[in-house]
Amino acid sequence: MALLELNKVKKVYQQGKIEVPALRGIDLMVEPGEFTTIFGPSGSGKTTLLNMIGCLDTPSEGEVKLNGDEVSKLSQTELAMVRRYNIGFIFQAYNLIPVLTAYENVEFAIRLIRHIKENEIREKTLNILEDVGLIGLENRRPNELSGGEKQRVAIARALVKEPKIVLADEPTANLDSETGAEVIKIMVKMNQKLGTTFIFSTHDPQIMKYAKRLLNLKDGMISGDERR
Amino acid sequence: MFAIKLGLRNLTRQKRRNIITTMVIAYAFFAYLFMDSMMNGMEEMSFENIRDLETGNIQIVHSDYWEEREELPLENLVYLDQDVEESLKNINGLSGISPELRFVANLNNGIDELPVLGLGIDSDRYQEVFTTGEYLVDGSMFSLGENKAVIGEKTAQLMDLKINDYITLLVRTKEDTFNTIDVEIAGIVNTTNPMVNSGTVFVPIDIAQQALNVENRVSLIAIKVNPGYEESVTETLNQNFKRKDLNLKAYSWRESAETVIALSTAKKAGIGVILLVVLLIGIIGIINNVILSALERTEEIGMMKALGMKEMEIVSVFMVEATGIGIIGGLAGCLLGAIGVAWLIKYGFDLSYAGDMTTYGIPILNKIYGVWNFSAFGFLFILGIIVALFSSIVPALWAARKDPVKAIYHR
Repeated sequence: MALLELNKVKKVYQQGKIEVPALRGIDLMVEPGEFTTIFGPSGSGKTTLLNMIGCLDTPSEGEVKLNGDEVSKLSQTELAMVRRYNIGFIFQAYNLIPVLTAYENVEFAIRLIRHIKENEIREKTLNILEDVGLIGLENRRPNELSGGEKQRVAIARALVKEPKIVLADEPTANLDSETGAEVIKIMVKMNQKLGTTFIFSTHDPQIMKYAKRLLNLKDGMISGDERR
Repeated sequence: MFAIKLGLRNLTRQKRRNIITTMVIAYAFFAYLFMDSMMNGMEEMSFENIRDLETGNIQIVHSDYWEEREELPLENLVYLDQDVEESLKNINGLSGISPELRFVANLNNGIDELPVLGLGIDSDRYQEVFTTGEYLVDGSMFSLGENKAVIGEKTAQLMDLKINDYITLLVRTKEDTFNTIDVEIAGIVNTTNPMVNSGTVFVPIDIAQQALNVENRVSLIAIKVNPGYEESVTETLNQNFKRKDLNLKAYSWRESAETVIALSTAKKAGIGVILLVVLLIGIIGIINNVILSALERTEEIGMMKALGMKEMEIVSVFMVEATGIGIIGGLAGCLLGAIGVAWLIKYGFDLSYAGDMTTYGIPILNKIYGVWNFSAFGFLFILGIIVALFSSIVPALWAARKDPVKAIYHR
């Protein structure tokens, strides 16, 4: 069974009296452990597609299935629960909480999962911080970290709760090419180590080369699907 | 728990704004506590002035005298006979008895005339009930049988009188004929009760009785009781009068100080308005703070929603933050309030610039001293926290209900 299944997903935004189609009927299946890149020009619908997959938005038409369960018709609270347990997010602007340390920013995500013991929270948080190379920096606040380090905290935050799928919207856009590559390498490493499915959008061809599957999005439709 | 931790940490963000909001709340708290202390002090002083300088704790009068007492009639007086004296004996808690003859008089200094309240007293017994004697600024009290008088300092100034000067009190007798009382000024008092200072002339009761032709009768008998005995003594006295079939009735000082008590009730309403303003300031401050925080942290709210936080979990973060501001503001306000009240108790607040307080029906001169009202501190602090907590809910809900996509991308 596919981890993720999108059937004829359409999304239309209403701008005043004008309807603006963002997705025009996406059919997509993603298997567990895939490392997929969505690329395409600005306005092609990459972010909208990631929002549909991430249960942040619901389609105007079609269905989104996660683990075989239809999620596109769930309430906001139910969608929040789906995101809490199954989906990790990495944002272009990191979106870390400035008053929390790197450790606390990561711990924050796992604390949302109920019934996890205190020592387990600490162990998982430290392990993931070690995996992304942040041991020694765990007590620093975001303003004391470089862009690359911040994004590594964001990766750790997305992975600490062991989600089925991690979504990243242009995770390297705010980083220089060298740091961006380092961040992607960490994502590749975690994909291989944990078997977590990664789907991220990018413009950068240097980053695309790490992907095992490339989805080309054009005018709200998948115009290419290449597996490597 | 994490929401509490995050909410408390958020207090360290936007320090300047949080400090300003906290200061506004603290100032509002201070203003309320200061006003409350001053108002309560004013009430306590007014009541003390009435009890210690005007009415005593209880007044015994003829049943028909009470309604007309403001007119100072010479009808329906109390005859101080053996039956009455016996009714007042051996009552637990009763500590002083002072008969008074109250009458209308015109004070004449040879040049001018001033309408005054004439008060015939037995100064020894009077001092068992009233503290007037402690306020003598010149001269002394008189004894029974002496043709002497004690007047208030204001009256003395107004009529240009001093010790040993002679005055004439023009009075109407019980039979409505004119008579005079010629007395030498033995003492001048300056009490904390403006009613006594201006317009009251004390003379020996026997001299007044003779001049007014009322025999051994008095207008009323003022009673002093030990603290806490007011009700029981009033009740015992009324039972005694009923048993002896005397046409007398005992009234608490509260019944003769209706105006001041009505003012006190109005004061409570005034304090309520101040409280409302204080709460409104707090509510506006907190709402403003939460809205600005939410606007600044839109992307953060989006991230929280993406991570799967429910609306109420996000709301709780803002509520903890707002409550924290309420607690800090409340503590600072209580501290400022305590300093203000301590100052008010020690040094008092000079109201002389506002003119004669009697104009407003408040029997207080010059300075008003505060009193501690610890329950107001506790009440306001707890109310402040509750208000901070609840006033943050609506703006926090507004923040938490943001569309996650719009919040993340700050659209």
